[in-house]
Amino acid sequence: MKVTFNLNGGPQYLDVEPGEPLLWLLRQLGMKSVKEGCATGDCGACTVLVDGRAVRSCLMLAPQIQGKKVLTLEGLGTVDDPHPLQKAFLDSGAVQCGFCTPGMVLVAYELLLGNDNPTRDEVAEAISGNLCRCTGYVKIVDAVLLAAQWKREGRWR
Amino acid sequence: MHRTGIRRFHLARDVEEALSLLSAYGGGGALLAGGVDLLRGPPGQVEGMIDITGIGLSQVGEARGGLAVGATTTLTEILKNPAASAYVGGILCEVLRQVAVPPLRNMATLGGALVSAHPWGDIPTSLVALGAEVRWRGEREGKAPAEELYRGEFRGLFRSAVATEILFPPWNGAFAYEKIGRARYDIALLNSCCGVGIRDGVVAWARVAVGARPDRGERLPWAEQALVGQKPRESLWGEIQDLVQGQVEVGDDRRAGAVWRRHTAGVLVRRALIRAAEKAGR
Amino acid sequence: MAVETRQRGAVGQSVTKVDGPALVTGKPVFTLDLDVPGTLVGKILPSPHPHAEIVAIDTSEAEAVPGVRAILHHGNVPRIPYTTAGQGWPEPSPYDTVLFDRKVRFVGDRVAAVAAETEEAADEALAKIHVEYRVLPTVFSPEEALASDAPPLHNEPDAEGIYDAKRNIAAAVDIPVGDIAKGLAEAPIVAGATCEIPYSQHAALEPHCVIAYFDEGGRLVLRTSTQVPFHVRRIVARVVGLDPARIRVVKPRIGGGFGSKQEVLLEPVAALLALRTGRSVRMACTRQEVFVASRTRHPMRVTVRLGAGKDGVLQALDMEVLSNTGAYGAHALTVLSNVGSKTLPLYNKARHLRFHGKAVYTNLPVAGAYRGYGATQGYFALEVAMDALAENLGMDPIELRRRNHIRVGETSPIFEKIGEGREGTAQIIRSCALADCLRIGAERIGWKENRGRRCEDGPWVHGLGMACAMQGSGITGVDMAAATLVMQDDGSFRLLVGATDLGTGSDTILAQIAAAELGVPVDRVLVYSSDTDFTPFDTGAYASSTTYVSGNAVLRAAQDVRQQILDVAAAAVGERTEVLELTDGAVQSRKTGKRLTLSEIGHRAIYVVDQRQIAATASFLCPESPPPFAAFFCEVAVDRETGVVRVERFVVAADCGVAIHPKAAEGQLEGAILQGIGHALCEEMLFSKSGRCVNAGFFDYKIPSSLDVPGIKAILVPSEEPTGPWGAKSISEIGINGPLPAISNAIYDAVGVRMIRAPFTPERVRFVLGATA
Repeated sequence: MKVTFNLNGGPQYLDVEPGEPLLWLLRQLGMKSVKEGCATGDCGACTVLVDGRAVRSCLMLAPQIQGKKVLTLEGLGTVDDPHPLQKAFLDSGAVQCGFCTPGMVLVAYELLLGNDNPTRDEVAEAISGNLCRCTGYVKIVDAVLLAAQWKREGRWR
Repeated sequence: MHRTGIRRFHLARDVEEALSLLSAYGGGGALLAGGVDLLRGPPGQVEGMIDITGIGLSQVGEARGGLAVGATTTLTEILKNPAASAYVGGILCEVLRQVAVPPLRNMATLGGALVSAHPWGDIPTSLVALGAEVRWRGEREGKAPAEELYRGEFRGLFRSAVATEILFPPWNGAFAYEKIGRARYDIALLNSCCGVGIRDGVVAWARVAVGARPDRGERLPWAEQALVGQKPRESLWGEIQDLVQGQVEVGDDRRAGAVWRRHTAGVLVRRALIRAAEKAGR
Repeated sequence: MAVETRQRGAVGQSVTKVDGPALVTGKPVFTLDLDVPGTLVGKILPSPHPHAEIVAIDTSEAEAVPGVRAILHHGNVPRIPYTTAGQGWPEPSPYDTVLFDRKVRFVGDRVAAVAAETEEAADEALAKIHVEYRVLPTVFSPEEALASDAPPLHNEPDAEGIYDAKRNIAAAVDIPVGDIAKGLAEAPIVAGATCEIPYSQHAALEPHCVIAYFDEGGRLVLRTSTQVPFHVRRIVARVVGLDPARIRVVKPRIGGGFGSKQEVLLEPVAALLALRTGRSVRMACTRQEVFVASRTRHPMRVTVRLGAGKDGVLQALDMEVLSNTGAYGAHALTVLSNVGSKTLPLYNKARHLRFHGKAVYTNLPVAGAYRGYGATQGYFALEVAMDALAENLGMDPIELRRRNHIRVGETSPIFEKIGEGREGTAQIIRSCALADCLRIGAERIGWKENRGRRCEDGPWVHGLGMACAMQGSGITGVDMAAATLVMQDDGSFRLLVGATDLGTGSDTILAQIAAAELGVPVDRVLVYSSDTDFTPFDTGAYASSTTYVSGNAVLRAAQDVRQQILDVAAAAVGERTEVLELTDGAVQSRKTGKRLTLSEIGHRAIYVVDQRQIAATASFLCPESPPPFAAFFCEVAVDRETGVVRVERFVVAADCGVAIHPKAAEGQLEGAILQGIGHALCEEMLFSKSGRCVNAGFFDYKIPSSLDVPGIKAILVPSEEPTGPWGAKSISEIGINGPLPAISNAIYDAVGVRMIRAPFTPERVRFVLGATA
């Protein structure tokens, strides 16, 4: 069946299988930042934003994004021009293996869009659905707070 | 990743279309809203997926002094809604903040939680405690308290009906919610939602529900009766704790044992009652 | 010390991770992010029985499924005993595994494998493989396995290296020093503890996965999520019967390992499927398969008995271990050995020691390497026993550690007696800042003010606990790493290392070690790692080895290249190398001030005069294994009514020598601490009566989320390890050894009960409290 949606700012018009998980579709489209860590919605590695809200792409079917805006990590910044939030993750030492990083950055992005002065507890709450086994979350929370500070200072584009 | 046997996907435009599609598939159709339960398990027999998020059931508003929540409203939408936040001192939001994690709350719907009715769920216990009434459309319209549905064959009902709305009645008093999980983002090993109304210095009404026993949340009418007419005081809460510990029906599962559940059920009920009474007294 | 006078440059700076920009922007750098056109899907048929003989296997219906290209099972695959443990040669783990056996030994064991064009076809084929089993009696605990009438799991005649197959003992150790019975009997003060750790999971976020494909020359390439690419090449070659020269193993970025990806699990199956079909094959474990069919921590019961003088100085230390290795003996002997070898030297005052134990087969999932590697299990019992000893002595637990811990210039007989499956290596401690760690950590947690106060807040009672630990830095005489450093014509460098960065940041740290020696910023050193075609050998990422062992290889290569650079520069400026300095990207003469940039030197060496490649390859064989040390402190709150335990604050003060990359070092500690808190509070694999894991997934096996993190403060307490690269020792494992005993001891401080069986669930805590109330 046909679906039309917006992926990272660009229009997509595609034929998809009705039972195709959104995670698979996005990876087929080259969005390899969308990771499969459990396929049961428990880990958060497949997180993407749909209409600005973080969701589990393993628990969505491709046709469900008809008419919606999908943001994956590829749509946020690039190696040469990272988003300040991505830079904050780098500067804070928030990336170890990097497998949870795409989902983690996106839930943090969702939080900071609505709140540029979160407390440590609010950050912990916002990222609580995204499991990380490497960092103990300490430096991830540091990174989100640093990015929030940069946002308040007008350093986000 | 579960590959499903899904052959068709429909975006229903209204309740009627959803119902006629559901009926056309016989047992092979499923209503899809948040999808967090439907798509996490094994594929099952679903052939036709019927998306009902566009049939106008996503709204929250005051109704008859209480709260009306459309069945496909996501938990996040409820949490962000001022009317929901104000409902009975914020009890609904107190519960929902402890359900799953933010991205799953962005997807999961109140109707989905109602229908999935997981025994370890936070929402079923709260629906029962709060006296929520469920409205649905099937062959005809229907309504019933969630508690009554859960005592009957509700799973059969929702194979051919769409839950449309959950109505939360007004309460002149306050509720509180207690939960214990293995981690802070876990399902409940045990939960309790309790409420009291206090008039003229005595308990005018009481609601006591305990869930994840490991069975689904149920009210404990004998505990409620023991509260009504009593003066709220420290010893009363202790007596209720003892009563619950003596009489609550609990069992073992791999997550916790009956002995701990029995003891802890009393503790959680007492704690919820104390907090509810404090709020009600303010 | 010589190190002090050398210029450190990039060392000690938390520079940007060299792979960070790609990771943080979601570039396709992981194993499965590579799309190889025409790749088949490989899947494994798991055993439904915990112990059974395969009487017959019928694949005819499965072969008829459209899209199925190959099916492997015991009937069509050569039988070659090996171990999946992924260790260096000679492997200390028993050869008790074959790719597909006639017998299955746990629910989830490998029965057959399929390669098909699609996931659906592979699944359908698996469902249509008909296997007739003859169910055998089972053993689900070490005690059952050791019973005289227990069925032997490994009665196959071709297994090698099993300690006592008839009695289900995979490995056994007994190391006496002095006379333990006498020592314990004569000690005026004694204490002890028996502590148990259950089955638990590494839970790396990326499931195990591999792509096997053929390059232009028809050689087999394995792109795999592994910690040991060189061992994968060696082991796969032997097991599938391929010339190792025809195999290239590439480790791209990997999504965590923690020991689980030291195991060689999917690679030989994928290789064989690729060879049989002539096609590329990808295999990935589902999360459920990772839980059941990859590896776990060794469940153990460890008993420690201590005898001390009235001054608190230990006189006797007895440690007995019963380890459950599951259905196969991967790491059975070495993890068992490390329970003692990584713990007992910490308290080197006791003259009477005994370390003894067994690792036993059961019909449960296979245990393997997991961060801490036995030390975690050992420290749980040792440090709880030390807490009990302090109480019996009426002495502060910190003071007890002060009186007993090993110091610079000291040794322990254990270093020599216990190695990795053989004798160890005598060594003396050359760096140890544990005394500082104890002092700094105690101050930070407020030990004096808060210990023993049992502060109450409603039903919550607060308590403080502490523990110490050490680990090692590589395996002496076994771990060898090599590095090749090449100078380019623009004066930048290529660093080729076999070392395996599993998310720890070792690529960055190795670049820093080279950059510091070469006087350049880290971004002038391009790191390429873990490719058996292009990088020199390295044993791999385990045993806390990379910074120390691979780092020393890199440093040696950099020293060699540095000398070559100075030689070229000396010829160019007509001066002796002794008067030349290499700093800030240039060589300058102290005598004449003449200056040549590295870019000029690189250009000159390649194109101008006496042309040659400035390059060096160096290797380093781990001569001794300098331990990092740490002191752990935590505050817990215990809900007396429900048994819920909250870790409120956690402080770890650790000595890893010079931290090459402080933020990475802190990150290792923070992550390890939280894994340890998970072990302490909630992590446990549960099994049905028929041996099936009933919580194989993150829904019912909870690892801590961001909401479950207490305030964790990781403090790096510097020392200078003279044998380490730029003074460095390891840091990646030690952090996981502290939380179990520190939390148990804090619970004791709060409510007076000893939690000796992990995890300390509300139910267990409440039960123990109820028993004493």
